[in-house]
Amino acid sequence: MTMRAKLGYTAAALTMLAALLTPFLLIGSFAKGVAALPLHVDEIYSGGPKLRTVPMGFYSIAIHRPVSPHWLQSEKAFVQLDWTPASALPRHVSDLVDVDGDGQPDLRVSFDVPDNPKAPLRVNVEALNPRYEAMQNAGKDKFSRLIVRVDNGILVRVPLVNP
Amino acid sequence: MASKACTLRLAPAATRGRLRSLLLTLPIAVWSLLMFFHPGTHTDPKSRIAATLTALFMTALFFMMMRTGKTYRWRRWFFVSLGLLFPIGFIYNLVLVRGTMGIPVEEMIAGRTPFCFLPIPLLILPAALTRTLVFPGSIAASSHGIASMVGLWLALTLVLGKGWCAYACFFGGIEEGMAAIPKRARIRKIDPRWRLLPWAVLLAMVLLSLALFEPAYCMWLCPFKAVTEYITARNTIGLIQNGIFILLFLALVIVLPLATKKRTQCSFFCPFGAFQSIFNKISVFEVKIDRTRCKSCGVCQNACPNLSLSKESIAQGETLLSCMKCGACVDACPQQAAVWHIKGTELAWKPERARLMFLYAAWAVAVMFGGSIIAQGLVTILHFIV
Repeated sequence: MTMRAKLGYTAAALTMLAALLTPFLLIGSFAKGVAALPLHVDEIYSGGPKLRTVPMGFYSIAIHRPVSPHWLQSEKAFVQLDWTPASALPRHVSDLVDVDGDGQPDLRVSFDVPDNPKAPLRVNVEALNPRYEAMQNAGKDKFSRLIVRVDNGILVRVPLVNP
Repeated sequence: MASKACTLRLAPAATRGRLRSLLLTLPIAVWSLLMFFHPGTHTDPKSRIAATLTALFMTALFFMMMRTGKTYRWRRWFFVSLGLLFPIGFIYNLVLVRGTMGIPVEEMIAGRTPFCFLPIPLLILPAALTRTLVFPGSIAASSHGIASMVGLWLALTLVLGKGWCAYACFFGGIEEGMAAIPKRARIRKIDPRWRLLPWAVLLAMVLLSLALFEPAYCMWLCPFKAVTEYITARNTIGLIQNGIFILLFLALVIVLPLATKKRTQCSFFCPFGAFQSIFNKISVFEVKIDRTRCKSCGVCQNACPNLSLSKESIAQGETLLSCMKCGACVDACPQQAAVWHIKGTELAWKPERARLMFLYAAWAVAVMFGGSIIAQGLVTILHFIV
């Protein structure tokens, strides 16, 4: 048997060994390796990291870092605001929000909180700062312009005018 | 001398006695028990029944492979079952958890979109250039997480190479089943240039995914959205996307396989399949054509479900890069010129040994991955019956 053939059979035997190790070792190790890579899910989906939280009594508003679209992405830049916990919200919310943290309110956000968590939500946003777009009766129009209930929070995304 | 060798080699291939076949099947039987009945699994009777049926099914198929010396014929039973049972288990789970097959925007934002392997090649460039994964899922966390699926794909690719498409893909079985229905193909002449189309789709989808920063294939072209989960149509664009999914599914997975007896979605369209072909280069197992026996009859070429043989490649004794090691050509060749081969070894020197080594590896991961999906589908069916 030639050296190449010996190498071939060795590789074949190692492949069989890899098959046996797949459920016990390989999948978990590879998955951990991938999870350890410095990667993140696109912020158009995740909403970007939280910058700060504003307490509002029984509930709070989390303000995320503004998200900018990549390249030819068909979304506008936006900022995400989370009202949590949804269970502590009054039937109607109308809050002034200081998004950029300069002490001045930038937005007035108003929405109803229906008892049924599956009921569609609608939001009105009055822009007190020209950097943000106003929204009238917005639902789930786009990733950059929406109001949705996710788990025990209500998320509002407000588009930016000139990011 | 050459003709004598040829005559000797033409002895009936690889049918075995029952006892020998049973002995060769024993490792797979033990493996199936280990995979389906390890401690802590199957707390309810339906799961136990499904696991038992799946373990018996996978072991019986392997036994038949050993007994008859045929690979494709028996692998196809597994693969079609996988293709048919995957949507049943998957859709049932979706409806149970989410209440709908549609992906609501809330689930995307929460990072709970299940990640399948098809977008893997589309994620590479955006991830390499911007460290961003253009998929509305979560990186690790659950079994549906991106890292878990990529880990599984890496492990199985190491074992199977392009064989993924014949022993692990949970979509290809539907069209393989469709292709098996007619006795003869209505469309027999297929322009070989169609083989290049999956590469063109791959290139287009990779570039589009980078430019638009979205998994373009999942958003616009995946035929299997029709039988798994679709984009909730919030506007006209959503309706168009879902229309495309259904049309592509009907054309590529139902109608064309019936007309051609080929896996047309895999052969002409699938960008993941094209990408996976590259990994045949690192796989040690392959199928080759023994030129000393080949009569250039073209039976293997007709039998190949994936257009992975051409006159030119047969003349060179090779399969094309897209060969998924399903064994159809090996089963079909009347001269036993199509043989399993381990790279580096002499061609046609104990091809059955190469086949056995490949099948043990491939069937082990098929039992582990595909078997669990089959069992899940059976549990769903039992849930409705019992």
